[in-house]
Amino acid sequence: MALLSNTATLLAKELRTEFRSRELLTTTVVFILVVLILFSFAISPTTEESREFGPGLLWLAILFAASLMLQPCFLREQANDTLSSLRLAVSDPFAIFLAKLIANTLFLLVTEILMLPLFAAFYNIPVLPQLPYLLLVLFLGSLGVSIAGTALSAISAQARMRELLLPLLLLPLLTPVLVVSATVSVSLLDREPVVQWKGIAFLAIFDFIFLTALWLFGEYLLEE
Amino acid sequence: MGKRIVFGVAAVLLVVAAAYANFFVAPTERTMGLIQRIFYFHAATAWAGETTLFVCFVANLLYIWKRNPKYDWLGVTCAEVGLVCITVVLITGPIWAHPVWGIWWTWDARLTSTFVLWLLYISYLLLRSLIEEPDRRALLSALFGVFAFLDVPLVFFSIRWWRTQHPAPVIMGGSGSGLDPTMNRVFFFNVFVMHLFAAFLIVERYILEKMRHDVDLLQREAEAQ
Amino acid sequence: MKNLGSVFAAYLIGWAVFLIFFVTLAKRTSDIRAELERLKNSLPRGK
Repeated sequence: MALLSNTATLLAKELRTEFRSRELLTTTVVFILVVLILFSFAISPTTEESREFGPGLLWLAILFAASLMLQPCFLREQANDTLSSLRLAVSDPFAIFLAKLIANTLFLLVTEILMLPLFAAFYNIPVLPQLPYLLLVLFLGSLGVSIAGTALSAISAQARMRELLLPLLLLPLLTPVLVVSATVSVSLLDREPVVQWKGIAFLAIFDFIFLTALWLFGEYLLEE
Repeated sequence: MGKRIVFGVAAVLLVVAAAYANFFVAPTERTMGLIQRIFYFHAATAWAGETTLFVCFVANLLYIWKRNPKYDWLGVTCAEVGLVCITVVLITGPIWAHPVWGIWWTWDARLTSTFVLWLLYISYLLLRSLIEEPDRRALLSALFGVFAFLDVPLVFFSIRWWRTQHPAPVIMGGSGSGLDPTMNRVFFFNVFVMHLFAAFLIVERYILEKMRHDVDLLQREAEAQ
Repeated sequence: MKNLGSVFAAYLIGWAVFLIFFVTLAKRTSDIRAELERLKNSLPRGK
């Protein structure tokens, strides 16, 4: 199917661009680390509190990092008007979005996985026992962040004050992802872990709804 | 112009009538007493605000589909009027809550999703102010409006299912749950009045948007000469 | 009467918000109307 092959090509391009410089990944990792450390300076949690609040803070840090990391997504296409070329190259504009959101999800996931050992150490939370479920939550949550973020990045790239605008548009929109991901993560990393399947299903539904919205309206986001 | 003034006067008169009903027709509530009378104004405004924002959502969809500027005018109009209603709700709610339950605020499903709704539509208006070109502004804000509206039920249910652990006071009360019949009638009268008042504000704001468009056209004509 | 102050505060502040919106709306409208008149008058002269 043309959509899949177009997406694959564009995705390869996105990944190649990033892995050439790795600037997005490194800055995002460092940013999340800094935010997590600052949280513990501000709150100074006890070991119990770390366990209770840690996952929530991790997700908050991921959201902040994402709202910065997603800025260049469409901005860099403005430099040489590469967006027009992309649009001409594909039959379905959704391929452009699909490629970007898959790339963004991957970047976020890589960042989170790199962060996990540090998070586990600083907040004294063993993450290995529940790793598969944790990765599932990280994946579904990051996917949601990516889908909404990629869409809104296309919008904010066409406005003034885009650096401030994207977080402003994105963060309230991602409230459900934050609430559910944080809650599910907390109960996963609890002393007596529980897998909240309802929450995981909710995240999947959030992802589905916004992916569908992006599929329906994506081409208008890229209109000249 | 005459029709607008009549509409406005009628709306204001009905508002006064509703206030009268709230204080003198509705019986006093057993547990909360006098303060419960805020409920008629507060909840009716909430309903009117939600209806207005739903119209905004429909206008956004219609603009994306048809590209008629009138849908954009309707969209921004309903966003502003809806935002004003939600602001009133967010202010009157805590004033009611504090004497009754001792707290100004709680992060339960209704309050949180109302607040997020407020934030999202502030962002909608902010986004519009940051895009110069009218067609671009109309399209992009319509798209954001659609995403924002789709998000609200998700916000509501996420909080409802995962945050309301401590039994929070049901601040807006079951408005229909076993309400005294007179109270019910007063409430629905308020709902009608607030919708009408919102409609009046929508008409006035829409006219402003249309005039702005006319000014824009004339300015372009003037520049072209 | 208990809480009479709060009830009045709620209605007063609530309606004040609506009033402020309406007043600013009226001002914006009259400004635009003035601008519209100004432009209409300046154009035939230009032609």
